[in-house]
Amino acid sequence: MTGAEPGSSLWSASTGAAQRKQDRDEVFVEYTKSICPVCKVVVDGQVNIRDGKVFLRKRCREHGLFEALVYGDAQMYLDSARFNKPGTIPLTFQTEVVDGCPSDCGLCPEHKQHACLGIIEVNTGCNLDCPICFADSGHQPDGYSITLEQCERMLDVFVESEGEAEVVMFSGGEPTIHPRILEFIDAAQARPIRSVNLNTNGIRLASDKAFVAALGRRNQPAWAVNIYLQFDGLEERTHREIRGRDLRAIKRRALDNCAEAGLTVTLVAAVERGLNDHELGAIIEYGLAHPAVRSVSFQPVTHSGRHVEFDPLTRLTNSDIIHAVAAQLPQWFQARDFFPVPCCFPSCRSITYLLSEGTPGTPGFTVVPIPRLLDVEDYLDYLSNRVVPDFAVREALEKLWSASAFMGTDTTRDRLTQAAAALDCADACGINLPEAVANLEDRAFMIVIQDFQDPYTLNVKQLMKCCVEEITPDGRLIPFCAYNSAGYREQVREHMSGVPVADVVPNALPLRPILTDSPYGSKVAQEGDRVGPSNPRDATNVGRRIR
Amino acid sequence: MNEAIPPKSAAAETKACCAAVYGSDVMPLLLGGSYHPGGLALTRRLAEQLRLCRGDRVLDVATGRGTSALLLAGEYHADVTGVDLSPANIALASDAARTTGLVDQTRFLLGDADRLPVENAGFDAVMCECAFCTFPSKPTAAAELARVLRPGGLLGIADVTAEPTALPPELSGLSGWIACLGGARPLPEYTDLLTAAGLTVTHTERHDASITAMLDQVEARLALVRMTARDQAEALGVDFDRAPAVLAAARTAIGDGVLGYALLTARKPE
Repeated sequence: MTGAEPGSSLWSASTGAAQRKQDRDEVFVEYTKSICPVCKVVVDGQVNIRDGKVFLRKRCREHGLFEALVYGDAQMYLDSARFNKPGTIPLTFQTEVVDGCPSDCGLCPEHKQHACLGIIEVNTGCNLDCPICFADSGHQPDGYSITLEQCERMLDVFVESEGEAEVVMFSGGEPTIHPRILEFIDAAQARPIRSVNLNTNGIRLASDKAFVAALGRRNQPAWAVNIYLQFDGLEERTHREIRGRDLRAIKRRALDNCAEAGLTVTLVAAVERGLNDHELGAIIEYGLAHPAVRSVSFQPVTHSGRHVEFDPLTRLTNSDIIHAVAAQLPQWFQARDFFPVPCCFPSCRSITYLLSEGTPGTPGFTVVPIPRLLDVEDYLDYLSNRVVPDFAVREALEKLWSASAFMGTDTTRDRLTQAAAALDCADACGINLPEAVANLEDRAFMIVIQDFQDPYTLNVKQLMKCCVEEITPDGRLIPFCAYNSAGYREQVREHMSGVPVADVVPNALPLRPILTDSPYGSKVAQEGDRVGPSNPRDATNVGRRIR
Repeated sequence: MNEAIPPKSAAAETKACCAAVYGSDVMPLLLGGSYHPGGLALTRRLAEQLRLCRGDRVLDVATGRGTSALLLAGEYHADVTGVDLSPANIALASDAARTTGLVDQTRFLLGDADRLPVENAGFDAVMCECAFCTFPSKPTAAAELARVLRPGGLLGIADVTAEPTALPPELSGLSGWIACLGGARPLPEYTDLLTAAGLTVTHTERHDASITAMLDQVEARLALVRMTARDQAEALGVDFDRAPAVLAAARTAIGDGVLGYALLTARKPE
């Protein structure tokens, strides 16, 4: 990292030869802020492109140099920049700007986007103890669960901020084991929140049909209740390594029960390199074949909380997942069927929609990715496009390529119909394609790819436009990735449970020498490596002019 | 793909087929009304090669519904005249100019590439996307494009390239039906045509991948039509059983360099 000392001679007296200047092996593309993954102090960061990949590098004065892969395909990363829409200002902010991002969450007035999706974690307890859990949940005696009053207050904060909110997601812990979860859903449905998502491992859905039926009753046309089902793959090894036990039969029963109750399900896979990244195609096929499933969400494992040891330089990113889907299902997908989501920062999330007919594996089964039917780029490229072919179509695509888009909601159904107008040949030769597609809505399927940031990959550039927020019991809306990375999760848990919670440190290969186990299975820094509370003042940007 | 509709070889019919984007032909259903290979991204690429400046007078020949003309007016602040053979397109383009607030910078005229309804030497730049190949008399059209350019002005063409004699049988059977396939020429022949019209070709570049992307779109729309309106489409002559072979042949032709897409720019001497 260091070159010749200033003033040293370029002419070497001993050899008599001029020293050759060397080029760096990377292209410097961004200067930003991040955090130290060990002590969470805010530090400067730089983004560089090397070997066609995008890396974030930063240095902590206490803990040294850190680098992580943030996008596996540099061209795709650079191309994604155009898919960035102006943010929308929420009706209220909950905090002030004091120390700057990510220390003021949130949302603070410097935040660039409103909340497309609000998450309420109803508890820390879980009926599983998965080896991979960003929330560090499990069978734990010292966690917390929220009361109905707290839940109502959290919902109110969300509504104050959003006016009419799109989606609230109940998560945990395992939200279905909270005794008042149905009342929480009722409380959400009593407010101007268009749909509810229940994020679950499916254990209760598999065994408690009365509960599933109760959810089904709450799933009304204008007020959908959808299921966000943890589903990492179809192989036993995947289940054992990621969940600690073989849950395959349970997942199947949960899905069948959902189908019976008319509930729409998203399969959500945490994807870890070398564990289940070969199962992406199989998960999509499984989803297409099951009547309850209308979407799949692939999320590279967030290396926050509890997870298996990983190498930050080879971690999975969105482009890796996109290329893997195209490689595993080449007959259906190409990488360019996926488009970045413009409401958040475009490198955070990519989506495609498809229409399908038939059953996978049977003759005549057909998949049509919707981006091949209309030029998504002509609508969602906000930087070069000033002439949009049809603003109604753009508005529809904006909602579809958004963090608030979930299959099984009226909004998504209406927007698919609206986007079909771009098929642009109404009644050519007597076939009204837009109308035909509108009637196909029940065959539409969504694939979402979302790389949540962790203490290694956190980039405030992305964080400042995050549109997925954790709603906290004390009435804040904290961007999901800040919540999991910067120390807010530990702060909230400590406050709610009254039990001190140490800052969780990623279980990263380069950190192995300084890591020790936390009581919850995650990793923390060993004694002596702790350098004060979370989010102390940024010491690299000191707000004064040159000396 | 279509045996029911006889190949149209007469020049006039070829022109009519391409101009009648909103006619009853099944092609718009598969190609999409305003689609051309490369989309708006390639239009911008062409505009950049024309080095458009604010206020430049630009003629867009075969403007269709005016999508590119409006892009040039909105993003490059050019003063754009669009010409198209179809009255329906002229009406749609004029409507689109109104809704995008670009009426003052654009006008759309009914006209034919053989006799462009504009004065001599009145344009700083002329653009023609995915249409030159369909003009029945290419030397006449090239001369017209040259006529309307001011001395020193630039012409930009984006078009299908093809070696008509080398097209596989699956595709040559379609060439009477898909006008751009029947009329397309190899890239050097376009260069010769423009040179013969007194223009100096300054730059050419290939964009064959944009044709592949268009085939993906045709394949997707074909699948969608089969899902939603199979009987109707078959009655119109779409042969779903034969389509995969045709698409595969087209992909092979692209891979072999027999079929492609290219941009050309040419200058009118001072």
